Amino acid sequence: MTLFMMQKSQKRNGGYFLKIPERILKKVEKPARYTGGEWGQTVKDKNKVDVRFAFCFPDTYEIGMSNLGVRILYHVLNSREDTWAERAYAPWVDMEACMREENIPLWAHESGDPLKEFDILGFSIQYELCYTNVLNMLELAGIPLLSKDRDESYPVIMAGGPCTYNAEPIADYFDLCMIGEGEEVIDELVTLYKEHKQKGFNKAEYLHEAAKIEGVYVPSLYTPAYNEDGTLASFTSIYDDIPLKIKKRIVKDMDKSPFPTKLVMPFIQTVQDKITLEVYRGCIRGCRFCQAGVVWRPVREKSVEVLCEQAKTLADATGLDEMGLSSLSISDYSCIDHLTDELLKWTDDRKISLSLPSLRVDSFTKELMEKISTVRTGSLTFAPEAGTQRLRDVINKNVRKEDLLRACRVAFEGGKSQVKLYFMQGLPTETNEDLDGIKELAESVIHEFYQTPNRPKKAPGVTLSTACFIPKPFTAFQWEPQCDMETLLEKQRYLDEKITDRKIKYNYHDAKVSRIEAVFARGDRKLNAALAEAHKRGLRFDGWDEHFHYDEWLKAFEDAGIDPAFYANREFGEDELLPWDNIDIGVTKEFLLRERHRAHAETTTKNCHETCNGCGANHLGGERSCCPSLKK
Amino acid sequence: MLSQPQKIRVKFSKTGSLKFISHLDLNRTVKSAFLRSKLPIWYTQGFNPHPKTVFSVPLSVGTASLCEFMDFRITESVSGKVICDTLNSVFPEGLRAIEAYEPKTKFHDIGWADYEIRMEIADAASHISAVESALAEPIVIEKTTKIGTRTVDVSEYVKTLFVTEENGELVLRVKLCCDTMNFVNPKYVIDFIAQKTGIPGEKDDYSVCRTAVYLPNGTTSFL
Repeated sequence: MTLFMMQKSQKRNGGYFLKIPERILKKVEKPARYTGGEWGQTVKDKNKVDVRFAFCFPDTYEIGMSNLGVRILYHVLNSREDTWAERAYAPWVDMEACMREENIPLWAHESGDPLKEFDILGFSIQYELCYTNVLNMLELAGIPLLSKDRDESYPVIMAGGPCTYNAEPIADYFDLCMIGEGEEVIDELVTLYKEHKQKGFNKAEYLHEAAKIEGVYVPSLYTPAYNEDGTLASFTSIYDDIPLKIKKRIVKDMDKSPFPTKLVMPFIQTVQDKITLEVYRGCIRGCRFCQAGVVWRPVREKSVEVLCEQAKTLADATGLDEMGLSSLSISDYSCIDHLTDELLKWTDDRKISLSLPSLRVDSFTKELMEKISTVRTGSLTFAPEAGTQRLRDVINKNVRKEDLLRACRVAFEGGKSQVKLYFMQGLPTETNEDLDGIKELAESVIHEFYQTPNRPKKAPGVTLSTACFIPKPFTAFQWEPQCDMETLLEKQRYLDEKITDRKIKYNYHDAKVSRIEAVFARGDRKLNAALAEAHKRGLRFDGWDEHFHYDEWLKAFEDAGIDPAFYANREFGEDELLPWDNIDIGVTKEFLLRERHRAHAETTTKNCHETCNGCGANHLGGERSCCPSLKK
Repeated sequence: MLSQPQKIRVKFSKTGSLKFISHLDLNRTVKSAFLRSKLPIWYTQGFNPHPKTVFSVPLSVGTASLCEFMDFRITESVSGKVICDTLNSVFPEGLRAIEAYEPKTKFHDIGWADYEIRMEIADAASHISAVESALAEPIVIEKTTKIGTRTVDVSEYVKTLFVTEENGELVLRVKLCCDTMNFVNPKYVIDFIAQKTGIPGEKDDYSVCRTAVYLPNGTTSFL
């Protein structure tokens, strides 16, 4: 961008600095994605802060603005007087084209300054399919993609979020990764940065020191070696004074963990325009396919008092009219009734409706539904995940058909006629009988509707949504292969043909997308090259149907000498050194292996409220937890 | 507490980032600001309570305005000044309440509006006469409505107030008809000028701002 253009684009307009020429904003879809200036944003004097940080969300503004993690960390860093944290998002393709044509570098929303001028960029990595967007954003910002190509003149590039539990496929692009919960570690990293900046910043020295902070992984300080068959042989560090195994960070006391007192209020509709109250972290259930339920352990609850106070603060500060309670399985919260009662005392007066995420069928009650009946939607969502009891035992879902039908009856009696059911296809040991089970379950729900005497006078409907099973690191199924493409497609065809009842609608995820996700989920460092190839081919927004190009991905793998089946469709050896074995999430590999064997024996495991299964997460400590032998 | 909810009109400006949000999004923005303000706004009594906010002539996305109006009701008596101050304390920058009062007119009493168009072009002064003579010709435009595209002469609905140069920009002020039947979007005028004179070119930045609204006589300010 030339100096002339900078001056032009920074002109004052109605008391406001617009960062991009107006004629571009008039041309693109939803220009309010790019203008900044929202209520609740933090603006500081850049000359009065020591550290300038930008949270980069590698997806659209609408998705990024809804992310709770970024909302929390934005608050954490802006609470520091010495730091100004801003936001940046992946521009949609129409804006990207304009930026490339006119050499406009990617900017941060609050100041409008190019990202290149910042001290630190922190990427929130929520899912594998946004990896290409990370590369594209760095390129649009005019920043070299590879960590080794960036000297002190460029910002330090950090990553956080669920994907960093296995950061190997993106290890070459990041200077450091935050493993686990970021509230405390991000603060420590910024403090360390400031110290180093004041004495003359040396990137190598900073990264070496940062690697000593618990929960920080600096990929460049570790070297993997491979066996001839491509599996990992060893993983070594280049310094003796940094840990070989990186322990994840957790916030021990959720009541004391920082929580925003205001939110940035988007001008346009985003994915979740509501106050999100995080009720607790972790999950007592232990479904064997679920990564979140494992990596967020141990369970740590917030108290009702703290939640109510945070809810009121945010209601005052935002003026939002919907409040969502969030956690992995909301009805397992030990004080769910107390909490909803307390909130309902004032939310109605304030025109605020309560909403809950998808519920477990075994804990769905009439009382709970009545409390959320103000929610405008006419349908309810349950996730049985598998069609037969046998397969539900394999995945340790611990939900019975009777539970589902009882929950549906409650919903029908409450005036609902539409039910959405989530399933997975391609789960380990799945057969056609299990697929038949999905169809039969849907039919039973329809039958249950007609058996309900006081059912609503509407036609019932069941929507089946199936995802393809993706083996994820740190789950009991981390060793399992994903079904090959042909099998996945065949399973979808099979079920599609079986379903003849027009009251049942069947939707399924694109198996090709799931395969790419599987490759990166269990990937190692060799995949960095494939990502570079994909980027060269112009791939981005892979999570968006219209921009996902499977054939281009296959070519990218080929050019990088990568066999995607090695990662997605191979059964990993139980004695194999896994690419993510360098990360200690608290839950032990032995526990996961035990769970895998129980899965194949079709044996369930009790939840953490019933008994302690010795997963190992209790060693991390925590307050208001259900772990019996928690380290204090 | 008032026995009947009282109607209030707020005159406000919509500039900066705000000019890039649609009518629908403005509605959402105002709705949350109302809840933050804790003003005694009257809500509909249904299952889905909402403030019944009505806005004056919609603005195109990208057009700023110094004279927008919204009507709503309050359940307790509050002075106009307090309403404005309170709203301004919860409005995002770019949205400013200017005046609040009990309205005597209806929005369909609006007949005309002034727009200021500023073009950033090199040698702005040299283009003044070309723009003036273009606007002196019959203004024939392609108007796209629900029924399709047709060619219309809108000359009688466009009045040129002045064309001048200011701080290196070409500044044009026009009065355009606002009634539903003969509404002239400033975009039509800009396109017409561009077609006749070549400015603004594709790479020239320009901004549009609605600066005043009038009753059908075109001279009495709407309030």
